[in-house]
Amino acid sequence: MTDTKTWARVKSPWVLHFNSGACNGCDIEIVALLTPKYDVERFGVKLEPSPRHADVLLVTGCVTQQCAERLKSIYDQMPQPKFVVAIGACACSGGVFEGNYNVVGGVDKVIPVTAYIPGCPPRPEAILDGVVKLLNALNPPKPKKQPKQEKPKEIAKPEVVAQSAQPGS
Amino acid sequence: MSNNNVNMIDIIKSKFGDKVQIQMGLLGAAAITASNGLHREILKAMIAADGKTGITAITGLDLGATIGVYYHVHTSNVFVTIKTEVPKENPKIQTIVDIHPGAVFHELEVADLLGVVFEGHPTPGHFVLSENWPQGVFPLRKDVKANEVKMVPTPSSEENKNLENSRLVKIIIGPQHPALLEPEKFAVTVDGETVTNVEPRIGYVHRGIEKATETRTYLQDVYLVERICGICNACHAYGFVGAVEKIMKLDVPPRAKYLRVIALELNRLHSHLLTLGHAGLEIGYESVFQYFWRDREPIMDLVELTSGNRVYGSLMTVGGVRRDIKDTDMPKIRSILKDLRGKLPFYRQIYENEPTLKLRMKDVGVLSRDDAIKLSVVGPVARGSGVDIDVRKDDPHEAYGEIPFKEIVYSSGDVWARMNVRMDEVEESINIIDYALDHMPSGPFRIDVPRSVPVGEAIHRLEAPRGELFYYVRSNGTDMPDRVKVRTPTFANIPSFLKSAIGESIADVPANFVSLDPCFSCTDR
Repeated sequence: MTDTKTWARVKSPWVLHFNSGACNGCDIEIVALLTPKYDVERFGVKLEPSPRHADVLLVTGCVTQQCAERLKSIYDQMPQPKFVVAIGACACSGGVFEGNYNVVGGVDKVIPVTAYIPGCPPRPEAILDGVVKLLNALNPPKPKKQPKQEKPKEIAKPEVVAQSAQPGS
Repeated sequence: MSNNNVNMIDIIKSKFGDKVQIQMGLLGAAAITASNGLHREILKAMIAADGKTGITAITGLDLGATIGVYYHVHTSNVFVTIKTEVPKENPKIQTIVDIHPGAVFHELEVADLLGVVFEGHPTPGHFVLSENWPQGVFPLRKDVKANEVKMVPTPSSEENKNLENSRLVKIIIGPQHPALLEPEKFAVTVDGETVTNVEPRIGYVHRGIEKATETRTYLQDVYLVERICGICNACHAYGFVGAVEKIMKLDVPPRAKYLRVIALELNRLHSHLLTLGHAGLEIGYESVFQYFWRDREPIMDLVELTSGNRVYGSLMTVGGVRRDIKDTDMPKIRSILKDLRGKLPFYRQIYENEPTLKLRMKDVGVLSRDDAIKLSVVGPVARGSGVDIDVRKDDPHEAYGEIPFKEIVYSSGDVWARMNVRMDEVEESINIIDYALDHMPSGPFRIDVPRSVPVGEAIHRLEAPRGELFYYVRSNGTDMPDRVKVRTPTFANIPSFLKSAIGESIADVPANFVSLDPCFSCTDR
C-alpha cells in the first residue's frame, strides 16, 4: 500500500502555485514550464487550482505582509503529506527586497520549505531540475527491502537542489 | 507640437497671471507652482481648453517641513506638472476627483503612503498597505525607517457581512485564485449573473520599492526598479535611467539609442505574445494559449542572446547599455523574427474568424472613448477605445523619432479590439526591430558617468507594453536618489475595468480583466 501511494505521488504530483508578492518573473517561468517547449506534464506534474487537492506548493515572491497570512492558510488547507518548493531568490531569502517595510522576506519564515530553487528568476530548466530532484527524494533508490519513508519530516532538511545557470553578462 | 505647447501654457499664464509661477522645461514642458485650491482651477482650465487632458500621476513627496503634492497632467500634446505643497502637521488638500475621475487611485495611494488628506474624497482604510500596518505611520515620510515599523494585530474583516437580507451576492476573487497569476482581491457583487459592483483591494504585491530606492545608490537602483516587473523589466530600468540621464543632462551615444529600442521592443513582443495566449486560457481556448507560448520561447531566446539572460537582462545602465549586439548575431535575430512574422497571419485568422473566440470577445467589456479619456486610460486599452495615445509618437524617446511605424488604433472598445491592437503591435514591433538592425549607427554603446547625480528633478515617460510608464526622480546631489515615483500602466487601467465590468455577466469578468493585461507587481510596486 505504501508503495502504491509513493508511486502515485511520484508519478503525478499535483502542484499549486502561489505568488506571495513576486515580480512575475518566476511566475511566468513556471507557466512557461507547462507550455510545449518544456512540457512538465510529461512527468505527470499538473497545475492544480485548489490547495485541497495539491501535493506540492510552489511559492514565488518575497512574502509581503499581506500575503504571509494567506500563505499560511493555503499551506494549512493542503492535505498531508505536503511539500513546499521556494522558487527564486526572493522566496529563498527575500532577495533584493530584503529589509523593505512591507516584506517578511523568505518563505521559510512563514511555512516549512522542502526545497529551494535560487535564481532571479531560475531558468525553466532549473525549476524542472528542482521538481525532479524533489520527486527522486520522495522515492529514493533502496538497497534493502524496507518500508518507504513518507513523512515530510524525513526530507524536510532544507537543501539547495538546483543551481540556476546564469550565463555571464 | 511646440506651438500648441506655448498655447496651453499661455492660456494658464493669461488666466492666472501672478498667482502661479511657471518654470519652463522642468518636469515636462513646464512646472507650475500653485497654492492649494488653485490647482483645481488650473486643471479645470486645462480640461476646458483640451478635451484629452488627464492625470498621469500624482507624486507625493516629503520636503522636510511640508509635503509636496505634484500633479502630472497630460493633454493631447503637452505634459506639465502642477506643484502644490501642504504643511506636514495638517496635510489637507482639495480633491480633484470631482473634476477628473481618473485621479481616484492616485489620491488613494498618496493618502495611504504619505498621509495626505484629500478633502472631499473619503479614503477609508488602507489602499496599498497591509491591514496590520499601524495607523498614523506613513512609510514614504523621511522620518519612518523601513525596518523599524511594528505591525499591529489584523482587525477582523467585516466586508462579507453587509449583504444580509439582500438578493445581491458578493463573490470574492483572490488573493489566491486560478484565474489570477498574482495575489490580488476583487469583490464582485452580482445580482443573479449580472455584475453590479466591483471593489478592488490591491497591495498584495506591495514591496515598498519606492522607499527602498532611497537607501540604495543609483547603480543599485537600476537593478532594483528592474525587479518591479518580471515582464516589462527593460522598460522599468529604462524609465529610471532615462530620468537620471535627464537630471545629469547626458547625451547617450546613437548606437545605445538603437540598442535600447531593440531591447524595449523585444520586451513588448514577448509581453504581447504572453497576453494574447493568456487571453485564450481565460476564455477556455487552451490551444491558443499553447500556440502563443510556444512562439514566445524563440523571443525569450532572443532576449537571452542580446542581453545575456532570459528574463532580467539588465541591459540598461546610466549612460547607455551594458552590452552590444554582435554583427554575427544579426542573422539569427532576423531569422527568428522572420519566423514569427510568418506565423502571424494564422493567429490573425484565429482572432478574426474563430466563432467561439469572437463570441467571448466581441462586444464584451466595452469602454467608450469618452470614458477612456475621463479615466486617463493608457496603452492598448486606450488605443482599443479609439484614443490615439502612444508615447513613442507623442513624446518620442530614444530613437523612436527616427523610426517609421504605425500607431495602431481600433474604435470598438471591446476585448476583441484590445487584443487586436496587441496583435497588430506585434507586427509593428518586428518592423521596428528590423529597421533598427538595418540602420544601426556605429560607435560606442555607453559613456562613462560620475556616480553622484547633481541636485534636480526630472520625469521620464515611455511606452511600455501595457501603456505609458512614468518615472519621477528627485536627486539631492548624493549618490542616492531623494525620491523615485513610478506610475505603472496597469495602475492607470484598473479603473476602466471597474467601469466596464458593471452590467455584464460574471462569466465575462475573466476575459474583460485579462484584456487589460493586468500586472499587479507593477501596480503595487
